Amino acid sequence: MRKGKIHIFLLLPFWVYYILFFFIPLGILLTYSFWLTTARGLVPTFTLENYWAIFSKKLYLIIILRSIRIAFIAAIICVVVSYPVAYSLTFKYKKMQDFVLYLILISLFSSYLVRIYAWKTILGRQGLINQILQYIGLTKEPLSFLLYSPTAVIITLVFIFVPFTILPIFSSLQNVKPELIEAAKDLGANNFEAFYKVTLPLSMSGVVTGFIFSFILSAGDYVTPQLVGGTTGMMIGKIIADQFGMRYNWPFGSALSYFTLFLLALLVYCLIWILKILKLRR
Amino acid sequence: MSYENTLLVIKGASRSFGQVVAVKNFSLQVKDGEFVCLLGPSGCGKTTLLRIIAGFETLDSGDVLMNGESIIDLPPYRRTMNMVFQSYALFPHMSVFENIAFSQFLKKKPKEEVARKVRKMLQLVQLEGFETRGPNQLSGGQCQRVALARALINEPKVLLLDEPLGALDLKIRKQMQIELKNIQEKLRITFIYVTHDQEEALVMSDRIVLMNEGEIMQVGTPKRIYNHPNSKFSAMFVGENNLLKGTVVKVNSDCLVISVDGLELFANRTINVKTGDPVTLAIRPEKLRITGELEGKSFGNQIRGKMVDAVFFGSVVKYYLRISENITMVAEDRITDESNARSIKIGDGVTLAFTRESLNVFPE
Ligand SMILES: Nc1ncnc2c1ncn2[C@@H]1O[C@H](COP(=O)(O)OP(=O)(O)OP(=O)(O)O)[C@@H](O)[C@H]1O
Ligand SMILES: [Mg+2]
Repeated sequence: MRKGKIHIFLLLPFWVYYILFFFIPLGILLTYSFWLTTARGLVPTFTLENYWAIFSKKLYLIIILRSIRIAFIAAIICVVVSYPVAYSLTFKYKKMQDFVLYLILISLFSSYLVRIYAWKTILGRQGLINQILQYIGLTKEPLSFLLYSPTAVIITLVFIFVPFTILPIFSSLQNVKPELIEAAKDLGANNFEAFYKVTLPLSMSGVVTGFIFSFILSAGDYVTPQLVGGTTGMMIGKIIADQFGMRYNWPFGSALSYFTLFLLALLVYCLIWILKILKLRR
Repeated sequence: MSYENTLLVIKGASRSFGQVVAVKNFSLQVKDGEFVCLLGPSGCGKTTLLRIIAGFETLDSGDVLMNGESIIDLPPYRRTMNMVFQSYALFPHMSVFENIAFSQFLKKKPKEEVARKVRKMLQLVQLEGFETRGPNQLSGGQCQRVALARALINEPKVLLLDEPLGALDLKIRKQMQIELKNIQEKLRITFIYVTHDQEEALVMSDRIVLMNEGEIMQVGTPKRIYNHPNSKFSAMFVGENNLLKGTVVKVNSDCLVISVDGLELFANRTINVKTGDPVTLAIRPEKLRITGELEGKSFGNQIRGKMVDAVFFGSVVKYYLRISENITMVAEDRITDESNARSIKIGDGVTLAFTRESLNVFPE
């Protein structure tokens, strides 16, 4: 066998997996989104009615925009929190690297639901934060907006998804050799200029990857909003899940999914485009 | 050395990392426009010293002065010197043009001026037409040139080079040595050049600073260091030397008589020793003449030996000669013409002759 061909076989499991569990389901979903649900059940046709239905009620758009807003804020916070951590682990506290990375991995392995419940108890009326605030006398009554609000959703999403931004940012910072920073300073860059012109652009791929990870994961999350979001923290994932469950309206659920997917992809594309214009990424 | 046109002064610089003393009480004065090589074995503190001068490393004690003013409190970006890193440290996300222009854009120079200066630099390092390439599309030698141009465009008073040719293969290295030297002579910038390659140091520098374990062993012109090493270390590190252990048997007014494994050798009296002192002798292979017995008399030293091996190196042949039970010496002979190649064979007895001046003596 020729040497070049064998790689195709190495990729085989990957393709089988993706075709079976990703592309085919996506295709089915896309097909559904053009079908109709009637009283008699699913009707295979080709109609854009499900897509128009998204615009029929203000609610859907409000929730979609809210989801994007919440996910965007959560992702920004994730990046802002992660970057200094990854940066100092790379350049300042090398000795703590392994320890902190293991901690992050362990937190990834611990159950997602457990972590959400943990936040529910922390943020609740009788939760840790309220108890501390009352104990030190900052508040008399427990703060109720901590739980069941977009803020609670954002806090929880950040804590759940922050490892997904720390890890890529950390790994991209490994490419920034210390001598590159020194070279920049040698050529007249002060600390900030060296960071802005060398460190940041060279780690931008990690920032973008991390941002996209936490943004997409947050936007699609439907457990967190249910548990800590209340009505004002409701997100689109829950609505979509309902279409496939309680509502039994698969075509509409599919259309909602695709519409949201389209919006998210568009946003991510715009973001990368802006970074290119800012010359932070090549 | 006088303080006249002294540009850079290093005064008693010391730096340790935990138990390791990287630089120890190091003092040096560098003249404006001088090409100084820091030469020494791996780990002797060359890089550390360079980083101290550049401002990337702090001093435990001592001072660094530029034009008479201490610069140790200045951050690297405020020092009027630039560094060429051993690994080049080109910015991978920038083109050749952007790399070279980096310092100029930081200084907010107008675009046309920067473009003009970059063009001039590219001309200097012979890389015209490479502006838009990325560093990963360049060969090692080309990266080296970009790194050089990037540092030179800033018009530094001192250029610090840390084994800049270390990663290049021999042929390009030799070529770059000459180019670097030419550029230095053309621009009259002071070069402080780190290398562990003694040949490179000999070829390029006005002055060599020979270091070992963080300390200066010898400072001098390449000629001086080559011909008159001041220690066993210098003799071993720079060029090839035959090292012999001996004892002083007689001290005359101008010469020393030294016994080496039963042989009596004569050397100029360059150091203070007395009879009975153990000494080390060093002599370069090319200073050893293989001669006829009579002819050899005029040299001052003459010993008999037996040839044990001859190795052909192209332009030279090295003869390995046993002169006593335990001592084998290397003599080098230049082949100028195929016909004058010697016809000594392995096992032949030969006469070795050398002058008193060529024999360097160090106390043990
Ligand atoms: N940051 C550091 N931390 C600890 N030890 C260091 C550090 N930098 C240098 N050293 C030690 O200081 C000594 C001198 O190192 P330096 O890099 O200056 O040597 P060098 O002469 O440049 O060697 P080479 O020719 O191999 O580059 C070495 O023993 C090295 O291990
Ligand atoms: Mg070094």
